[in-house]
Amino acid sequence: MEYQQNLDTTSRGQRLINWIDERYRMRELMGAMLHVYIPKESKTYYLGGITLLLFLVQVVTGSLLALYYRGTPDEAYDSVMFITSTVQFGWLIRSIHAWGANLMVIFCIIHLLRVFFQAAYKAPRELTWGVGVALLLVTMGFGFTGYLLPWDQRAYWATTVGSEMAGAVPIGGEFLLRFLRGGETIAAATLSRFYGIHTLILPMTIAALIGIHLLLIHQQGLANPRQPAKTAPEGNLPKKGKPFFPNYVLGEVVSWYMIIGLLIILASLFPVGLEAKANPLETPPHVKPEWYFLSLYQILKFVPRVMGVLLPMVAILMLFLLPFIDRNPEVLPRKRPAMVTLGIMALIVIIAFTVWGKIS
Amino acid sequence: MRTNKIDARIVFGIISVLIVLLSLVMITSAQSSASGEATPAPKATATAGKIKHGTIGFSNCLKCHLDGFREAPIMPGDDHATYNDNDVCLDCHEPNTPEDGTVWKNLLPGSTPVPIQHPASNGLNTCYDCHLELGDQLTDIAQMWIESVHGKAGIGCADCHGGDPNTDEMKLAMQTESGYIGVPPRLVTPQICGGCHSDVERMRSYKLPTDQYAKYTQSVHGKKLRQNNDTRVAICTDCHGSHNVKKGSDSTAPIYPVNVPELCAGCHADTTLMESYGIPTNQYEVYKSSVHGKLLLEEQDVRAPTCASCHGSHDAKPPTSDEVVNVCGKCHTATEDLYGQSLHSRIGDNAPKCWTCHGTHDVFKTGEEMFMNHKPQEDKACTSCHLDNKSFRMDKARFAQKEDRRCDTCHHEGSRIMRQVTGIYVALNDANTVYEETESAIKKASALGMIVTDAEIKLREARTSLISARAAVHTTKLPVVTKFTDEVETSAEVAKTIADGKLQENFFRRFSMIIAVVIIIVIIITLSYLKRKIDRELEKES
Ligand code: HEM
Repeated sequence: MEYQQNLDTTSRGQRLINWIDERYRMRELMGAMLHVYIPKESKTYYLGGITLLLFLVQVVTGSLLALYYRGTPDEAYDSVMFITSTVQFGWLIRSIHAWGANLMVIFCIIHLLRVFFQAAYKAPRELTWGVGVALLLVTMGFGFTGYLLPWDQRAYWATTVGSEMAGAVPIGGEFLLRFLRGGETIAAATLSRFYGIHTLILPMTIAALIGIHLLLIHQQGLANPRQPAKTAPEGNLPKKGKPFFPNYVLGEVVSWYMIIGLLIILASLFPVGLEAKANPLETPPHVKPEWYFLSLYQILKFVPRVMGVLLPMVAILMLFLLPFIDRNPEVLPRKRPAMVTLGIMALIVIIAFTVWGKIS
Repeated sequence: MRTNKIDARIVFGIISVLIVLLSLVMITSAQSSASGEATPAPKATATAGKIKHGTIGFSNCLKCHLDGFREAPIMPGDDHATYNDNDVCLDCHEPNTPEDGTVWKNLLPGSTPVPIQHPASNGLNTCYDCHLELGDQLTDIAQMWIESVHGKAGIGCADCHGGDPNTDEMKLAMQTESGYIGVPPRLVTPQICGGCHSDVERMRSYKLPTDQYAKYTQSVHGKKLRQNNDTRVAICTDCHGSHNVKKGSDSTAPIYPVNVPELCAGCHADTTLMESYGIPTNQYEVYKSSVHGKLLLEEQDVRAPTCASCHGSHDAKPPTSDEVVNVCGKCHTATEDLYGQSLHSRIGDNAPKCWTCHGTHDVFKTGEEMFMNHKPQEDKACTSCHLDNKSFRMDKARFAQKEDRRCDTCHHEGSRIMRQVTGIYVALNDANTVYEETESAIKKASALGMIVTDAEIKLREARTSLISARAAVHTTKLPVVTKFTDEVETSAEVAKTIADGKLQENFFRRFSMIIAVVIIIVIIITLSYLKRKIDRELEKES
């Protein structure tokens, strides 16, 4: 009887929502998710959200590509060629996927820098930060495995030199190299392995990690870049401030539209091409890995192999442990000059080596 | 009287002792020469003429042969300069027998060359051991030799210079009885090299040819050396080096293809040297800027022809007009076949050959200017192009300048042949234009990021046909040329359609992009406006 009453008093849409809500109490959940507040001082520049959007774009475009792509050396190249030149808007989907991958890495890094310079990684957000570092690694893993799939010369040789870096890892490096390649060289086994990792293992991992990342953020609310955080359970969930919905979300949506516009422009003006089909017998003159591995690649040219591999491994470990190493509770840059200088210096070194790797 | 008798006895005694001593000396010396297992060919026995040369030996010979006393032939200084302290004349010269007195036994140019006779080495090379220690040039020579092909193959000093490589007594090692000849004179060097190099048995294990000596004797160089005793011509060592002979595949060897033009130019660009032969000296300069020269010297492409590719090496001589087609055809086989179908080739000796249109040392990149120069032509007579003599061959001078190598240099304006030439010219020109237009359309589409692989495949087909069409000019037949130019146009058209399609698609892409971006901008502006509004409301509230 009650049910029918509802039907009479409200509009159709409302009625449907009500119908669901009466059964599953969705309003409560949505309210808990959306009607939260963020500190007025927060400045996220929507970077994490943009990274999230790019991930979603990758999921959509990637799924479409998977409809046509074939993961064997004999067919991979031709199927990519088919997608690019014959499939309706195949070129657009593929170009957006390629550009989206690059932008995702870029925004992931800028997001990390935002968090670092605003000291948002500090207690109580150690785990959010740690999951974030894992997200960056997985994102780069996506790039690395995806780059091989077109099976053209650039793909083949960039992966050859890229996976060689793994071989330099002390103890187990040889194993890692063989594990990555599925054999001694890049071949059919490598391609199917990379395809599997790229479209099954990594998406599941990143989805889980993003879920955890967002859950943790939701539980704590955003950090205040002006005041040191309080660890007390309630202290961080402000009841006042800027409403997450609709104010923050609207800004987020605007930023998303901008990124979508950027993606369309990039994909239309600079569509991804395809070089000659991979030829293991013919090494092209300038073999380089992708840009986000370039700094490492360049460093490896100068320091002993073991050093060159240990260095980034130690750096990643330090990055994970950063909130535990840097126990200074201050958040304002002028109150933590050592950390800020260290961050800027590391950034300069990485950019310098990347640029050097690019021009050499 | 007694004293006289005693005196006579003493004199007799002295004389007989002397005679005994003398005969002893003679016996021992005879024995020593007989015991040498491989001395040079037996010395000349006395002949009637030898009487005149009663006193023999270097210093005696020189009395007459140095300055031509009593019309004696003068000893050539440059070849014999090293023989100054040894009685070596008779090792090679037989007094009186030959009219000019410059004959080397066994080493006479043209006779079958035999290796120098000397005591066989029992694993030693004392020459090398000593010379290595002597310093300066002598050490250098020793070091060069050990690095050379001969050094590595165990071909020792004595094999070219004679002498005994087993003894460390310099006098014994370098005595004429051991076959020592010192620096081989230029005149006989080919004989010495040929001694081993024309021996099939000896060369077998090195997989080397053995016809070089035979070829050399037939070459311009070899003939001059042999017939005129002209030692200024190239001999083996001038090109291969002496102590430092290297393999031809060694890029530092003077006979490595890339180094050959400079090697030949060493003599042939020398105006004073070439003056007496009356041959030009600018070939190297001209060759350097030719297509062949650029390919070889600038791009180091060893497939390009060197001097030797056309002139031969050991058998060097200028190819005659009739040989030219074969010489060029060694590499340009397909073109040779096409030329074979032409009327030109059927006329024979007096017809235009490769060189008539392409030149010799100055082969240039071909172009359409080779058909005609679009200027009013002067009247032509037979001798405009042919030599005014019985041979009636093509006149080289007429085609010396690149600009004069055209079809209408010989063919009359308005003639049936010239009409055919014009047809070929137009067909090629049209095909070329179509090809270039297509190429630029594809390049444009590719620069815009479009994938043009399918168009490029077709363009490559067009290119193959275009090359065939150009080559077909050698047949001088219009239908053969147009068959290929038609192919060019068909393939290029397909490629052009694909490329134009891509260009059109790119335009569509950009156009749609602009529309999408405009829509997005509108959305962004609206949402930003909305956001500002609710943000302001929020501020008012608090
Ligand atoms: C696929 C990659 C990632 C996605 C989708 C993602 C997503 C997000 C989102 C949506 C937020 C909310 C605030 C904002 O938008 O900035 C956020 C916050 C945060 N992210 Fe990420 N993130 C990613 C990678 C990372 C990385 C690489 C790090 C650091 C190593 C990181 C550390 C954090 C931290 C500590 C916060 C809390 C910031 C605060 O409270 O102000 N995240 N992330």
